[in-house]
Amino acid sequence: MAMRELVTGGAACAVPGSSSSSNPLGALANALIGSSSKTQGRLNEIPASTSTASEGGQFYSEIDEHLRALPGSKFDQQLLHPNAQGSEFLRGFRSTDQNALAEAWNEVQLQRPPVSPQVDLYGRTSSPQTQPSFDGPPQRVLSSFLHSFVDSSHGGIPFLPTPLPLLGLSEGDKQCIRDRSSIMARHFFADKSEEFINAQVNALLLSLDIDNDVQGKRPLPGRFRELEDYWNESQGVLRHGPHAADGWVAEFSQQRAEPSNPDAWAHSFEQQHGANGWVSEFEQSQLASVDQMRGGSIASLATMEQTRMLAHTLAQNDDPKFQNSKFLQFVSKMSRGELIIDDNQVKPNTLSATGNWATEYQQQYNVTPMWADEFAPPSSKLCVIQLAHGPDRWINEFTTGKEQGSVNDQWVNEFSKLHMNDWVEEFGHQVGEGALGDSSTDWANAYDEFLNEQVSAKQQSDASRGVYIFSDMNPYVGHPNPLKEGQELFRKGLLSEAVLALEAEVLKNPDNAEGWRLLGIAHAENDDDQQAIAAMMRAHEADPTNLEVLLALGVSHTNELEQAAALKYLYGWLRYHPKFGTLAPPELSDSLYYADVARLFNEAAQMSPEDADVHIVLGVLYNLSREYDKAITSFQTALKLKPNDYSLWNKLGATQANSVQSADAIFAYQHALDLKPNYVRAWANMGISYANQGMYEESICYYVRALAMNPKADNAWQYLRISLSCASRSDMLEACDSRNLDVLQKEFPL
Amino acid sequence: MASNAELKSDAIFDLMKHFLETDEGKKVAKKVNLVYQFNIAPKKLGHDEVAYTVDLKNGEVKKGAVEGKPDATFSFKDEDFVKVSMGKMNPQIAFMRGAMKIKGSLSAAQKFTPDIFPKPSKM
Repeated sequence: MAMRELVTGGAACAVPGSSSSSNPLGALANALIGSSSKTQGRLNEIPASTSTASEGGQFYSEIDEHLRALPGSKFDQQLLHPNAQGSEFLRGFRSTDQNALAEAWNEVQLQRPPVSPQVDLYGRTSSPQTQPSFDGPPQRVLSSFLHSFVDSSHGGIPFLPTPLPLLGLSEGDKQCIRDRSSIMARHFFADKSEEFINAQVNALLLSLDIDNDVQGKRPLPGRFRELEDYWNESQGVLRHGPHAADGWVAEFSQQRAEPSNPDAWAHSFEQQHGANGWVSEFEQSQLASVDQMRGGSIASLATMEQTRMLAHTLAQNDDPKFQNSKFLQFVSKMSRGELIIDDNQVKPNTLSATGNWATEYQQQYNVTPMWADEFAPPSSKLCVIQLAHGPDRWINEFTTGKEQGSVNDQWVNEFSKLHMNDWVEEFGHQVGEGALGDSSTDWANAYDEFLNEQVSAKQQSDASRGVYIFSDMNPYVGHPNPLKEGQELFRKGLLSEAVLALEAEVLKNPDNAEGWRLLGIAHAENDDDQQAIAAMMRAHEADPTNLEVLLALGVSHTNELEQAAALKYLYGWLRYHPKFGTLAPPELSDSLYYADVARLFNEAAQMSPEDADVHIVLGVLYNLSREYDKAITSFQTALKLKPNDYSLWNKLGATQANSVQSADAIFAYQHALDLKPNYVRAWANMGISYANQGMYEESICYYVRALAMNPKADNAWQYLRISLSCASRSDMLEACDSRNLDVLQKEFPL
Repeated sequence: MASNAELKSDAIFDLMKHFLETDEGKKVAKKVNLVYQFNIAPKKLGHDEVAYTVDLKNGEVKKGAVEGKPDATFSFKDEDFVKVSMGKMNPQIAFMRGAMKIKGSLSAAQKFTPDIFPKPSKM
């Protein structure tokens, strides 16, 4: 666990302004190390992994070995220990691409708000030769300085000591910087000699006015006996390293009982981890664990989140070689949850129910940089203690200790605010209920969704800005008359084909309002309002007074709950109407109020009660204000005038459904489908109405039917997923997530 | 009555309100049996929040904070709440991204899933 501390450091150890958790490398290592030994088999998938890791039973002895090791040499040993999975991982990391690592680091740093113009400038230039001047507030100076240290790894150029203004670093800060830079340097300069690394680190420390005596000797254990002893002495209080579990407990009580030194523990704790850093870390992980409870596996969350960050960062690298590297594949697999490295399990068979709880509890805590780990660096010790005393007693003990360490009031307060015992109770309860059961797959799926969302994020944002997204492969490009073909296909009800033909048309004639309009209608009937809006906007551009376009835009924006936009277009409909245009004063369009628009439309309806279209627009308006009864009346009036308008039947159905008259809605949808069998939107709406009545099996069939006709109907996929879970058909979730329509159609025929 | 500055979430809560009057809605309420408060911000989390009470003990939805203590309180941006309630965004993901903040009991918060919301139909 010391390994984790080294890589992540306390918050005070991080570059000021960041918290240690914003360092994906550290956090990843953290997640990995915190979760290493249960699934050894999976670990083998790590590229460059050469040796196998310890067995569960071996874990104790391994820890003992670490414990017995001199604290001074612990760092190296942790790093180079052939059996430590952590070093496996880091070696794999090292062997891939030095620059990528440094870039990842820079990337992370740059993701935060720029610390200062210098940093920004410097972070982007890849030339490490230039050493910028450092001035400004100490935090900035330190930050830019550390940046330049990291940057120096790009070319392996010796890092020169730089005069810096007085930074006023505390002893704790210095120690952290010392520890971390030493470790980081070994990653950056893995291909360099020990002397070179030491020179680099020493140059850094010299500039920061950090005593590097200790530093100098630490990486070279055994060479300076005296210094090593001195180191042990000075660190002895801080790290209860060389004690076995019981010894640690004893020491803990001893220290508590020692009246002369009541603050030492708290002090050293603070020194080691930083007061605020600890609190924020705790809070973070506390919050994270809330989420975990749902997902069931904190391990997967932490690891996947970290790896996702890393994968994302690494994916920025353009080098095709790197993109194809096993390492990147590994990381992205991890991030998708395909690979899970589980906790360093200590699960003796003798565990009672309490023990079981403790293990779960331990698992929770280990993965995120939790106080449990921070509290006692080799956390398995903690586990031993837990098992020995039972969790409640342990908590009591901790609470007592906590009161002793009242120097650090802040975190004590924070801690009590979090209602530890409540939480513990809750957690125990959860475990008891088996809430953590097989929901981990659920979690992995959620994660997949998240990644997909990320991938399509750009597309989505384009669409929501009203940018039309064309299909990649379009067989109708080059067709002599794609508009005619599109109209023909639309009439036959082949909506997705019609979309392609019409896309070809508007590619050929970008100003063809009719092409865009029909394309928009095809998308709306295909249950894709985003694309419908995008196409209709283009139609509107080409022909700003087209009433059908204005109505369609009003409807689509109403569907998307976009009040203001919907109102604008519906008002436009009135304004450009040859008969009612006089009712709509143009000046009103600057500040539209629903009440005004509704009043005007009512006037129009009174003027021409036989005009079905006015009633339709009025019905849409009432949908906007959610006066569904009035909307239903309007649509029913319109249907008497236009009984064969399938989209009108669907509008009536949707309105009835939204005012929870689902049975009536289904009747209306059926009407629409009788008139237009390939009306995807009506099929999807059918599914919604069945789902809202709790008839999930039925709803699934309708969703699948809709999707069979338009696999791009994202809403239907999302609803299908919900219905599958509600109908306890989790067995089909995989088919849903992989969008395997063959399987779904076979399973849910209509 | 609608105004230009209305939240999208309003429509969802309205639908929820009607939904809870149906048999299926009552079933869902009975299953969850908790009182939630939602704080919906138009643009930025925590700013100009509008509170809604979703009382799944008594099957009621109303604007305004919960009288007494809610079992869990969620904070959302308008857009994100719509995404979560329509199943476009998983609550876990919303939480992870910081798009959703939770206060109160954990087991209560856990029962907040997209399937307790009715789905809006499209014209």
